[in-house]
Amino acid sequence: MSQRKRSKGLGCSQLPDGEDDFIPTQVERRSQEQLNQKVSELVQFLLVKDQKKIPIKRADILKNIIREYKDAYSEIIKRADRTLQEVFGLQLVEIDAKRHIYILINNLPCAQGELLCRGKEQEKMGLLLVILSFIFMKGNSVKDSALWEFLHLLRVYPGKQHGVFGDVRKLVTEEFVRQKYLETTAIPLTDPPEFKYQWGPRAEKETSKKDVLNFVAKMQGKDPKFWASQYSEANKATT
Amino acid sequence: MSHAGTSGESPPAARRRRARPPQPQERAAREEAAEAAHEEAAEEEAAGERLRQLSIGDGDDDDREHNRMIRSQYRELISTVQQNREAMLNSKSNRLTEALEEANRLFDGVCRAREAALDAHFLVIASNIGKEKASELHSEMSAFDSTAFAEDLLTFMGINRTEVEETDESEDIPGGFLPTGAWQTIGEEAPKYFRRAPTFHYMMGSFKSEPPVPKQRIERQRKASRRKAERAMPAQLKKMEESHQEATEKEVERILRILQTHFEDDPNTPISFFDFVIDPNSFARTVENVFHVSFLTRDGLAKIKLDEDELPIIEPIKPSEGGEEEDSRAGARNQVVISLNQKEWKEIIETFQIREAMITPPYQATEEEMETE
Repeated sequence: MSQRKRSKGLGCSQLPDGEDDFIPTQVERRSQEQLNQKVSELVQFLLVKDQKKIPIKRADILKNIIREYKDAYSEIIKRADRTLQEVFGLQLVEIDAKRHIYILINNLPCAQGELLCRGKEQEKMGLLLVILSFIFMKGNSVKDSALWEFLHLLRVYPGKQHGVFGDVRKLVTEEFVRQKYLETTAIPLTDPPEFKYQWGPRAEKETSKKDVLNFVAKMQGKDPKFWASQYSEANKATT
Repeated sequence: MSHAGTSGESPPAARRRRARPPQPQERAAREEAAEAAHEEAAEEEAAGERLRQLSIGDGDDDDREHNRMIRSQYRELISTVQQNREAMLNSKSNRLTEALEEANRLFDGVCRAREAALDAHFLVIASNIGKEKASELHSEMSAFDSTAFAEDLLTFMGINRTEVEETDESEDIPGGFLPTGAWQTIGEEAPKYFRRAPTFHYMMGSFKSEPPVPKQRIERQRKASRRKAERAMPAQLKKMEESHQEATEKEVERILRILQTHFEDDPNTPISFFDFVIDPNSFARTVENVFHVSFLTRDGLAKIKLDEDELPIIEPIKPSEGGEEEDSRAGARNQVVISLNQKEWKEIIETFQIREAMITPPYQATEEEMETE
C-alpha cells in the first residue's frame, strides 16, 4: 500500500510537464498507475539483486518484473533509473550492450569517512584496489603468473588458505570475475594455458585510472606525475 | 641411422665447426700443400668427420650415455628457464643471455635429431622471453617497480620490520611481521576510490511468523478449568456414594430413635410436628426431615394427628399395640400433602419460637450442638 503511495508521489514528479519526452503509443495503453507500480517493483528488484554485486541480466528483469509489460520495457527502465538517482543516489548502468547486463553504481562522489561497506567487504575491496592498481601500472594487462608473483610479496598465495580471504584463488579468479571487476582471457598458443587479467567493465565504471594512480602515488609517497606515461593515460581517460 | 648422422650436421653446427681455427699441425701442413691438396684434405676431413658421426650414431653404449646426458641437461635448462620466467623478464637480469650461452655450449655435443629437437624447443622458449623483454622496453608505461610498491603497501598496512621471520620463501619476500588488522587498514582506505553502490538490506530482517503467545494463554486457561473440574469431581462422587437408599433408611431409623427417645422422656406429651421436623438453620434439612418422617408414617411407625388447637402433633406407635382399628385404618387411608416454602418456614420458626432442631443433622451433630449453645 505504502509502495503505491510512494510511486504515485514520484509519478507526479515524473510526469513530463512540458517536457518533450517521446512516449511510445504502447505505453499509453497502460495506465500511469500501472506503469509506476512496475517501476517501483523494478527498483526494489534491482536493489535486492545488487546485494551480491553480480550483474543483473535483462532476461531476469523481463521474467520476474516486466512480464506482460514487455512493450514498455525501455520506458520502465528509464523511469527506474531516474527513481534510483533521485531517491537513492544510485545509477543503473548497462555494462554490456550486446548481452544487456546492468549494474548499480553510486552516483554520489566518494565521501570521506563514511562506512558504506563493512568488515569483510572492505578487506576485499582493499585487495581489489591493489590488484587493479597493479594491472593499470603494468600497462592495463598482466599475466596471471605475474599477478600471483606480485601478490606473493604481500603474503597472499594462491595455493594457501589466507587468514582473511580464505581461498584467494577462488576470490580472484571467480568472485571478482563474476562481479565484472576483473576480466580474464586465455593467452593463445600457450601450453599449459595461461591467462591474462584486465580491468572488468564494473571496475571501469566504479573507479578510474586517475583515482587508482592517486592511490599508488599516496602509497608510495610520490607525485602522480612521477609516472609520466600512466599519468598522461589517466588524464586522457577522464575526458 | 646414417641419415641421422648427416642431418645431425645442421648448417649452424657446421658453421661453428668451421669457425674453429684448425689445429697448428694441420695449418702447417696445409700452408705447405697446394690449393688443390688443401681442398682435398678438407674434403677428406669432412668425410672423416661424417664417418665418425656415423659410428657415433650407430649407438655405442658410451655414446648412448653421452646423448642421454645431453638430453637431460637440455631438459633441465628448459625447466629452469620456464620456472624463472619472471626473473628472466626483469630487465636488470642477465639470466636469459646466460641461458642462451649454456644452450650454445650444449649444442656442441649434439649430433642427432633427438637432442636437436630439444635445442629447438629451448630456442622457442628463449625467443618468447626475448620478445616479452623487448615489448616491455617498448612499452609506453614508465618504469613501475612492483616490488617497491608491494613494500610500500606493507608499510601502510603496518608491518613490523624489526622482527625478521625466517621463511623458506625465496629471498624476494621481505621479512617482517604483518599484524592482523593489516588488510582492514587498506580496506578502510579503498572505498574512497570506488563509486560502489551500498548494498541494500532490510533493517528489521526478513519476515518471520508470529510467535505462539496467544495459543499458550488459551492452553493455560483450558488447563486451569480442567483442573478445577477434576477437583470438583471427587467431591461430587463422595456425595453420590453416600446418597444411597441405605442411607435414607438409616436416616429414617435414626429419626425414629430420636422420636422414641423424646417420647420416653415424656410419654404423655405429644411432640409438635413443627417442633420436630423444622431445622431453624437450614430449610433444606427441614424438607429432608419431613421426607424422612413421611416414611415413618407410611410404615406405621409414627402417627400424625391434630390436637385441640388443630396443630399437627407426632408420636411413635408402639409395635406391641394391638392397633386400634380406627387408628390403623385412619393411618392407612389418610394421605396428606404438605407444602412448605421458605417464607412459611421462617414464619413457623417465628411463631413457634423454634430455636434448635430436634433432629440433629447427620454429619455435624456435635458442631450443631455447639453452635446452638
